[in-house]
Amino acid sequence: MGEDAATPADLLQGTLELLVLRTLASGEKHGYEIAEWIHIASAEALSVEEGALYPALHRLEMRGLLSAEWDVSANNRRAKYYRLTPSGRKRLKEARDAWRRTSVAINRVLEAGA
Amino acid sequence: MTEWWSSLRLRLRALLTRGRREQDLHDEVAFHLAMREAQARESGHVDAASHARRRFGSVAKIEDNVRDTWALAPRIGQLFQDVRYGTRMIRRSPGFAALVVLILGLGIGVNTVMFSLVNAVVVRALPFPEADRLVHVWHVPPPVQFPGATRFSVSPANYLDWDAQNQVFERMSLYAPRGATLTGAAQEAAAVPAALVSAAFFNVLSVTPLYGRAFEPGEDAPGKPDVVIVSESLWQTRFGGDRGLIGRSIMIDSRPHTVIGILPDSVTFPARARIWLPLVMTNDLRATRGIHDFQVVARLKPGVAVTQAQAEMDAISKRLEREYPVDNAGWGALVLPLQDDIVGDARTALLVLLGAVAFVMLIASANLANLLLAKTLGRSKEIAVRTALGASRRRVVQQILCETILLGLISGAAGFLLARGSLTAVVAYVGDTLPRASEIDLDARVLLFTLGISLASGIIAGLAPAWRLTRPSIQSTLNQGLTRTATGSRDRRLRSALVVSEVALALVLLAGAGLLIRTIGTLRGVDPGFDQRNVLTAILALPQVKYPEQGNRTRFADQVLARIRAIPGVETVSAIDSPPMTGGSTQPVAIEGQPARQMSEQPTAAVRRIMPGYLRATRIRLLAGRDFSDADTATSPAVVLVSESMAKQFWPNDNPVGKRLTLTFRPNVVREVVGVVGDVKMRGLDVAEPVATLYTPFAQSQWGFFTLVIRTTVPPMSVAPALTSAVHEIDAELPLLRVLTMEDFVSASFAQRRFAMELLGAFAGFALLLAAIGIYSVLSWTVRQRVREIGIRRALGATVPDVIRMVVSEGLKPTIWGVVFGVVSALALGRLISAMVFGVSPHDAATLTAVAVILTVVGITASLVPAYRATRIDPAVALRDEP
Repeated sequence: MGEDAATPADLLQGTLELLVLRTLASGEKHGYEIAEWIHIASAEALSVEEGALYPALHRLEMRGLLSAEWDVSANNRRAKYYRLTPSGRKRLKEARDAWRRTSVAINRVLEAGA
Repeated sequence: MTEWWSSLRLRLRALLTRGRREQDLHDEVAFHLAMREAQARESGHVDAASHARRRFGSVAKIEDNVRDTWALAPRIGQLFQDVRYGTRMIRRSPGFAALVVLILGLGIGVNTVMFSLVNAVVVRALPFPEADRLVHVWHVPPPVQFPGATRFSVSPANYLDWDAQNQVFERMSLYAPRGATLTGAAQEAAAVPAALVSAAFFNVLSVTPLYGRAFEPGEDAPGKPDVVIVSESLWQTRFGGDRGLIGRSIMIDSRPHTVIGILPDSVTFPARARIWLPLVMTNDLRATRGIHDFQVVARLKPGVAVTQAQAEMDAISKRLEREYPVDNAGWGALVLPLQDDIVGDARTALLVLLGAVAFVMLIASANLANLLLAKTLGRSKEIAVRTALGASRRRVVQQILCETILLGLISGAAGFLLARGSLTAVVAYVGDTLPRASEIDLDARVLLFTLGISLASGIIAGLAPAWRLTRPSIQSTLNQGLTRTATGSRDRRLRSALVVSEVALALVLLAGAGLLIRTIGTLRGVDPGFDQRNVLTAILALPQVKYPEQGNRTRFADQVLARIRAIPGVETVSAIDSPPMTGGSTQPVAIEGQPARQMSEQPTAAVRRIMPGYLRATRIRLLAGRDFSDADTATSPAVVLVSESMAKQFWPNDNPVGKRLTLTFRPNVVREVVGVVGDVKMRGLDVAEPVATLYTPFAQSQWGFFTLVIRTTVPPMSVAPALTSAVHEIDAELPLLRVLTMEDFVSASFAQRRFAMELLGAFAGFALLLAAIGIYSVLSWTVRQRVREIGIRRALGATVPDVIRMVVSEGLKPTIWGVVFGVVSALALGRLISAMVFGVSPHDAATLTAVAVILTVVGITASLVPAYRATRIDPAVALRDEP
């Protein structure tokens, strides 16, 4: 792997989808922006693998959670921009709630007096 | 639900805009790589482009994964790939594919035809609305009088009581099949199968005519105008499809009848009828209780089960027995679903045959598995490479199955076309052997069946190679190269197992065919009691209108017989009312000097009318007394001849000649026994029990039809044209019905068995051929695998006979095992065929031995070519050929 590649966090598919949905909640982005946004927002702790990202994007698009449009990027190139659809927004809320419940539960277990 | 739907819509759109999406995906990835490259360059990477690509990973693989997400359903994209792969594999070896399609296609075609027969005859409901409510109601005669008889014709008076007293039938109808003669319209006289039916007949069946109307209630009462309903096909062929036929008058049995309706051809009931006439319920007929000449069809009320109807009919019969003891003592009733009754024995024969073709199909599939195994083992390395590269075992199996299922489907299409092409010939071949033969066609159910066995055979054929190729041992193939040692022996075992099952299945079929061949042989060997060679028969039925008096009919018969006698090649001519094996009258008999008994307790005998010379024409032996002669006339003393078995049964200790008896239905005529004749197989060659038979002279009874019995010195059919013109010289409008040789009659009595024998024989032959191909291909392959070993043996001094022995014994081993398993299965399955065999045990040792020998010989023969090839192996070349 590349020399600057951090040990890739093992992103479960469902988690990756949640992160993608969250990323797009702040506005439309193309694939590269999504990967970078997650990397930065996680304080460089998470590095999204492109091998998983693009299939995930297309899967979400096929499920009607994202819609996509070609537009011109900041550096004046044609890029495919993804944005949340209403059902994507709904899905994000559900998934975020589920994630919070799960992480709270896991934290409780981890911090239970030993 | 809505998400699912919008998702499907998106996927469909993706499918339709595939080309643009591909391009978009490409651009999307290229954009990503460009962005990453720019970023890498900024942070000072030397080779930014390759860094970006390395970081991204395999573009092809990711694009592939993305493509999978577009697919209509998960994995379908993969499946498409596998189908493409399968197609490529098939196209790469067209010769192999052709061989497979030939074997499987033939198998599937035969199966399709066989199933279409079963479908039309057994499975499909009769072509009437709610046909499951239709039943036949029969009499069950007293067992003392008619031992073994369960279904007996019905008397009109009993029918009327059944109809009036039951609460279970919506409607009942009395009917009788018969023949009718069509004349006039400047066309040749034609004999047409017809039926006399009571007025409710078509209401029972729930059919309405295409044009015109059905019979109205009361139209079967005496004194009504003569009306007739004709079939669509008769209307087309004889009356040119003119709708003006309704209301027109046509001549039936020399009497004008007004056509009131035209029935669709789907109404094939009673079998083959083309004309339906009202059964006129005269007062005489309504009062007839002791003579059973009719059949009864009825429609159950909705929700009434056959068992309920049976219980009701039992109760009514009991009541009638008490009310009319003379006629009805001991007479019961039997309610049978109409379809079961019509199909009858054909069901067993058809199901056995369907089982047989299924066996053929299994053998063909095993063969295909064998061929594929050889071929796919050639691809072991390729598959090992792909497994090593991460292809899952599931995926490999899926690919192999895809290929074999594709082959199965192609063969299925070929088989279906084959079946469609041969259907007309098949229907012609079936002829009258099976009931409902006119209904045979390829409907949706048959198509579904074909699809099913195509898929099944593809899967069965693919399982063995798929299983074999995914064995863990395959991993070692990579290291070893394709070795001829350990893996070789495992493959050999698998292939041997396939041969064992092929041989076993073929043996079972061959045993079945052998048993039926022996059955037919036994039946042909049964002495019918008469000499069936060189005898021509034809039925003449004299219309009442034209020949009103017995005198007219006798005169006609005398003239016709005289003319026929003059035909060159005719030795003797005589007549009988109903020839053996075609049914006929059975009547109670009262013997003079024995205590008077109620009719239901009287012994019965088959009663046949004959003309003088009948014994000579049929060569039935005269054992005692004298034959009838021209001196036995209407005015001379009444005389009878009795069969040997009747003599023994009726007068066990006396000479019957000179004894006197009366037929209970004609109690006023006392008849004297003047002679004893040999027994005849009246009810078929397979009925061992002799039938007590009594013959009376035509001259001493009332009659309207007879069957000519003509002994010839030339091939009998060659006399037929002269016979027809002889009859037409006297009455140009009289048709000859059923011009057949006596041999035809006799073989018609076991037509269904012969039909089963011919088909089973053909299937068994096919199975044998397939098994031989199987053994041959396995051995050829084995010899190829063992070239080195054989070469070494040759180099070490093994002789040609040694090598032949080695290869043949290699082939003989699975053959012998197959024979063993086959014999065991044949013994176990013998029960299924027991109803069809005669004069031979279904476990007949001689038959089983013979088929075991045949299969062993075939096994050896199929081994010889590979064995010969093995002897040609050059040790030097073989040893150089390093693995």
